[in-house]
Amino acid sequence: MNASLLNPFNITYPTAVQTSLPSQASLARFDPSGRFVAAGRGDGSAAIWDLETHAAIRWLEGHVKSITSIDWSQNSRFLLTSSKDWNVIVWDLASDYDPPQRRATIRFDAPVASASFHPRNSQIILVLLSPGDAYLVDLRKKHRGRVELEEVQYASDEEGQMNTHRSAMSVARFDPSGKNVFVGTSLGSILVFNSRTKTMVARHKISGAGRMLGFDFAKSGRRLVTNSSDRILRQFTLPAYPLPNRDREYLEQELEPTHRFNDPINKTAWHAMSFSPDGEWLAGGAADAATHKIYIWDISNDGQFASALDGGREPLIHVHWHPRKAAIASTTNQGNILIWHCPAPERWGAFAGGFEEVDENVEYEEREDEFDIEDESELALRKMKQEEEQVDIETAEDMDAERLGDHARGNGEHEEDYAWADEEAEDDLQVWKMKTMMEDETDLL
Amino acid sequence: MPTSNAQQPNYQLRYILSGHSMSISSLKFSPDGTMLASAAADKRVKIWDASSGDIITTFEGHTEGISDIAWSGDSDCIASASDDKTVRIWSLDAGTTVKILKGHTNFVFCVNYNPRSSLLVSGGFDETVRVWDVARGKSLKVLPAHSDPVTAVAFSHDGTLIVSCAMDGLIRIWDAESGQCLKTLVDDDNPICSHVVFSPNSKFVLASTQDSTIRLWNYHTSRCVKTYTGHTNRTYCISASFSRTGWPYVVGGSEDSKVYIWDLQSRQVMQVLEGHRDAVLAVATHPTRNCIASASMEKDLTIRLWFDEPAANGVS
Repeated sequence: MNASLLNPFNITYPTAVQTSLPSQASLARFDPSGRFVAAGRGDGSAAIWDLETHAAIRWLEGHVKSITSIDWSQNSRFLLTSSKDWNVIVWDLASDYDPPQRRATIRFDAPVASASFHPRNSQIILVLLSPGDAYLVDLRKKHRGRVELEEVQYASDEEGQMNTHRSAMSVARFDPSGKNVFVGTSLGSILVFNSRTKTMVARHKISGAGRMLGFDFAKSGRRLVTNSSDRILRQFTLPAYPLPNRDREYLEQELEPTHRFNDPINKTAWHAMSFSPDGEWLAGGAADAATHKIYIWDISNDGQFASALDGGREPLIHVHWHPRKAAIASTTNQGNILIWHCPAPERWGAFAGGFEEVDENVEYEEREDEFDIEDESELALRKMKQEEEQVDIETAEDMDAERLGDHARGNGEHEEDYAWADEEAEDDLQVWKMKTMMEDETDLL
Repeated sequence: MPTSNAQQPNYQLRYILSGHSMSISSLKFSPDGTMLASAAADKRVKIWDASSGDIITTFEGHTEGISDIAWSGDSDCIASASDDKTVRIWSLDAGTTVKILKGHTNFVFCVNYNPRSSLLVSGGFDETVRVWDVARGKSLKVLPAHSDPVTAVAFSHDGTLIVSCAMDGLIRIWDAESGQCLKTLVDDDNPICSHVVFSPNSKFVLASTQDSTIRLWNYHTSRCVKTYTGHTNRTYCISASFSRTGWPYVVGGSEDSKVYIWDLQSRQVMQVLEGHRDAVLAVATHPTRNCIASASMEKDLTIRLWFDEPAANGVS
């Protein structure tokens, strides 16, 4: 609601640190509503921070080794944590306890590098293990199972396969629609799998990239930015992918980046990158050992470098853009989470009713009838007339509508994928509220 | 009366609840609709069964009279604003105070939760609006909001805006996150503003002023879009409320001991509820049923529950 009263020209990218949350975190992610931040820590615990009160409101203690990734379900009810202790835990934040109830614990036979929810259904989980294997885990009654995603080998390779070992998977993410899984490999390829059939539908060789380290999608799902070991962030426009077919055919295509982002002087590597919600800005967290720098590029302006945010002395290790506004959460290696925002300029004019601030002097032109004395009864009558107009006090164009829009079905051809993903998704769709837990106060009375 | 197809309400008195020993200042139905809370100058908060009118419990602890109360979204807690300069949070489960919010330097006059019930906003005679962290019981923000006692504060339905009004006659809209003043509404004659609340969609504010008028403001355009008159309000801070369970009405108390029901759109008085024997300061509308609660001052001290009895008689 406040957006309509705030100056729309301010909404670009954040410029200043609003607050620092001392969380001993190694990574921090906003939830889809933007009200909370989940922080994963090196000791295996995680915390939920409330951005309205800037206080930690939940402690999730379940892992015994450091947390490697965090993901939120689409309505923020469930939280997914993966850890080096070989486990993935799904937490249910709607439970009235602290720590919240676990909804599931999924055990693997190796350290887990990352885990993420299917964007439409929190019961479908994509897991990447440190040795380089990716699994799709389905917790639904009807589809329960665990399927490994397997790369189709090059046909010509078959003879020499004995001496070239399989490339390890180093990144795995759903695209924003959830139709496809994107996997990056240690040999610099992007593999695309269909989430429903788990078959490979495309392979992109990215020349010169080296090992894939991270992916981020613009909300529309049409653009992907990759981080790789050659210290360049590449943005790609993704092609339309074929539907999985019986012959297991797939698209074999080299992709040319539309933009390359790097630091030409210091040649810094990148820890993480994140698109703004409208996809018009990209934030890159520099892996600099002595400073805390976030680079901002203006995608709508041909990817021009816009600004470098300086967050002080504590080096940056993770960065995530707010899902709705110009705000960023960046994590320092000391475990503090910096929340960046756009400081709004003071508007003293707002304190005086009917007063308008102007930037420059304006020569005032008096209206012809400005000081005419009108008949009071006529004025009253006109006011009465105006008040006849119907008012709508009920309908609000809110986030719910927005969210539906996100998932609007583009065309009919992926109908089957959506239908599959939406099965048994009910418990995440319901409206719920995080219960406010009162801290005990012993010195009360 | 001009032609209008507004539906004629037919509210009838069903219960009279008595228990308070001094003027009743505030009434609120719980969000789940099962309970009614009342607060009075006798320092007590009372909880009543909304369907039977039976008393459920009484909270005592404030050392001065109470001016306002608010329910948390889960109907588990109540916040009360008192002349003892504190806001107390009461837990229904525990049956006692769970937090005391100290900080106001004068009487606290109004209080409300945000939609998530993680924050409280309060205003008082120290002319400030304060935002509180409910979980920790700590003050988060102090807005030097007005130049006279603050008479009402409320959050918008999405929690991003705060509206406040004061005896200085100003209605201000604030950004809840930054605490920045975004807008000020002022009427030409600057009457003392006694109550303000957002419309359900938060596009309008309904403000009661002590020139015996209730106005619906479009705060984007700073224009008054509806004016409701007919009642008397010159001395006290009388609240008004939207009724949205059936036909949309505006319901307000009055110093002539009556309760007025206006048609939201046509601004006509649709029904006047008579029975109280003193000024009606507090009214509340039930969240799901066609039910109104009203409470009165010193000479009466009763809470009355009115229910809309459809069709039986009274249809025009």
